Amino acid sequence: MKLIIQIDRKLTIMPYLSILLSFMILCFGAINVQDLYAGESVVVYSGRAERLIKPVLDHFEKTTGTKVQLLTAGSTELVNRLRAEGTRTPADVFIANEAGALELARGLHLLQPITLPSVATTIPAPFRAPDNSWIGLSGRIWMIVYNTKLVDPSTIHSLLDLATPAWKGKLAIPSANSEYLQDGASIILAAKGEKAVEAFLQGIRDNAGNEVYGKNRQIVDAVAKGKVALGIVNHYYIFRHLANDPKAPIAPLITDQAEGGMGAIMNVAGIGLTAQTKHVSTAHQLIEFLMSPPGQEMFAHINKEYPVNAKVPSDPELPPSSSFRTSTIPLTRLAELREPIIQEIQRLGLR
Amino acid sequence: MGLGIAGLLTFPLAYVVYSALTGDLSQAGNLWNTRLPELLTNTFSLALGVSLTTLTLGVSTAWVITRYQFWGRGFWDWGFVLPLAIPSFVLAYVYTYLLDTAGPVEQAWQWLTYPEARIPSPYSFTGALVVMTLNTFPYVYLLARAAFQNFNLSFEEAAQATGATRWETFFRVSLPLIRPALVASMFLVVLYVVSDFGAVSLLRFQTFTFAIYQQITGRFDYQSAALLSLLLVLFALLFVFAERWFRNQSRFYQTSGRVRTATPKPCSLAQGLAINVVFVLILGAAFGLPVLLLVQWTVSAWIQGDVGVAFGTYIGNSVFLSAIAATAALALGTPLAYLASRFPSTLHVACLQGAYIGYVLPGPVAALALLMLFSTMIPILYGTVLVLIIAYLIHYLPAGLQAMESALQQVNPNLEEAARNLGAKGIRTFMQITFPLVRKGFSAAWLLLFLLCMKELPATLLLRPIGFDTLAVRIWLEASEELYQLAAPPALLIVILTIPAVFLLSKKNWQAGDASVQ
Repeated sequence: MKLIIQIDRKLTIMPYLSILLSFMILCFGAINVQDLYAGESVVVYSGRAERLIKPVLDHFEKTTGTKVQLLTAGSTELVNRLRAEGTRTPADVFIANEAGALELARGLHLLQPITLPSVATTIPAPFRAPDNSWIGLSGRIWMIVYNTKLVDPSTIHSLLDLATPAWKGKLAIPSANSEYLQDGASIILAAKGEKAVEAFLQGIRDNAGNEVYGKNRQIVDAVAKGKVALGIVNHYYIFRHLANDPKAPIAPLITDQAEGGMGAIMNVAGIGLTAQTKHVSTAHQLIEFLMSPPGQEMFAHINKEYPVNAKVPSDPELPPSSSFRTSTIPLTRLAELREPIIQEIQRLGLR
Repeated sequence: MGLGIAGLLTFPLAYVVYSALTGDLSQAGNLWNTRLPELLTNTFSLALGVSLTTLTLGVSTAWVITRYQFWGRGFWDWGFVLPLAIPSFVLAYVYTYLLDTAGPVEQAWQWLTYPEARIPSPYSFTGALVVMTLNTFPYVYLLARAAFQNFNLSFEEAAQATGATRWETFFRVSLPLIRPALVASMFLVVLYVVSDFGAVSLLRFQTFTFAIYQQITGRFDYQSAALLSLLLVLFALLFVFAERWFRNQSRFYQTSGRVRTATPKPCSLAQGLAINVVFVLILGAAFGLPVLLLVQWTVSAWIQGDVGVAFGTYIGNSVFLSAIAATAALALGTPLAYLASRFPSTLHVACLQGAYIGYVLPGPVAALALLMLFSTMIPILYGTVLVLIIAYLIHYLPAGLQAMESALQQVNPNLEEAARNLGAKGIRTFMQITFPLVRKGFSAAWLLLFLLCMKELPATLLLRPIGFDTLAVRIWLEASEELYQLAAPPALLIVILTIPAVFLLSKKNWQAGDASVQ
């Protein structure tokens, strides 16, 4: 009899045991993940599409034996995450697809200067933060993609020309929440002033109508199929399309090249060293690799972007970077212009 | 204990309210002028539109299946539940591919009509309406089917005997009589629509939940996000109270002891064929076609060698997280549901009701609250799986609670009292008497929770630890890059892993009272 009662007693603690057990598993999971941060490893927060960055990091992992842990999300989203995490962040480096996010992170004191001596010799000054908290790794240019059967390119000299009523119903633009559109408009704002950017945004909004696309690739597709005559995109989408389909009736057009003009709008993808990192030397190792010619080739060429390291030639299918002029507005200004330009884009009701 | 659990679940909401109302409120005016009108119109019109379309689709399919005898009826009976296995964002990404400019549908349409013909863009109200309808009509179907099955035929016969036509009978007698089921299913559909994040963001349709996510990710503006969340939660709560009120208002009783349910009428061959054609079209759009595309993409991704060992990890992570969250939800939910149904003191019922708050708290909002809470107050746990599991608990425990509550209510308290009279203590009574009796119901609750957690996206995106990608996260990352082939294998895996759960859920005869099928 006693025995049975004892067994019953044991049974009564079952719910407690199960709760305890699940919490133990939970904590084990928690500790397990925390543990991963230790050791010869570098934690990368990346706003760059995983298919573009993963092969490069895999190569680094293979050649150096340093474990790379990757968290992919939106560039701005990661700035927010870094800020929310504060001193507890596990991130060692932050890779973003545009300078605006990097500069935003620097302004929030989330980054620290990269003290590698090679930075000054490899990365031209306009493409890095004044204190080297972040450096650009690859450049992308805003180009107009036009259908060669529908557009005479000699009629377009500036991006601002696209806002004229002549292009009504013929233009495709990126959607309002695209960081590229925000950065591009920011540079126009800085170069030409508030009136000009308002007219530009209003004009392209009216001309594009429903032809607003979430992806640059779709804009190039639409132009190639003749659905629209032209569109604004990052250059590599045009060249990627041409690489797949060399006969497509599309061509790139670099604008604003006139003497004293704004210059083509350029942005960089880059990397920053987090203020909280405890793995400065491994992080430096990764940054050094990404600046080196093999790293630059992998990082930029995988997406047909322009390597920032001048010693590394750009993809032969691209127009050489010496053949055009880019905007002289410092990329560091993108951060301070971000909020005003989002407000303006929202106010004008771009989709 | 119940208080503690309810507290854990409601605290994040309290924190959102607190952070929305402290600090600079001038932002609120700004928000009111810029975003709110659009968000309000979009959210409400989508909820209303999807309600109407799902009601039509769900009730008519349920009616035909319960009232007519035709070839293939046995399959359709559970077949219409299958769309529940497809997460909304997977359906959305399949449809963006299909309906995009120069996509397959537009090309087919141009071939049929003229070369310049355009179809409506999927990135619009129409797109969101189609996807959300196809994704949620099974809820209406399930509840309407159950209602029609338990329907007393005498009412209809009385109507027809007094000269009403068949249409009049349907609209004036049958439909009003299953109103509780319809209201309950509308409740599910509307809450699903307003809290959906994945589909509307892939379709770029600005609703509250999407806007909240954008505020959290696109800018560093947690206060606006908190304000929007607060508004959304208030609307949802209003809706919940309206539903409760309605449920209490309308009680239908059998007038005589004898209930006669309808026997399905045999159909002619042509009728049966017509029914099958229409059903194939509906289920094809909601399940067949998407799954076929996923299979095709998966095969081509497989051939190109894009399906690597990493998938083992993603499956492991998804299953690990969902299983732990479902187990923890049962462990935490049991005392809440038990105390409230056996000792319904104000406190106990309040605890239970408090836990339901999570129902109206969309994923990004719960994630936002936890993000703010853990990063400022308990930073040591931030970035661990624990935070993610708490987010799942807050969001999905209510769904499990409802299933558990109804299971407990079916156990006669006399049995427990007898055990107690014989000297058994509370816990022992529960383990030896109650638990074996509710085991089936609790298993269903566990499955439901598991299924929901597998499909969860926004909280996982915002709170996942580094290197801890789940199947849902992989789908999202690849689909937002429009890499359809790479997004397909994890999507197909989720569908395959959730089909058994969905199938089991479809076997249960759902009543309007347990609106937990979400």
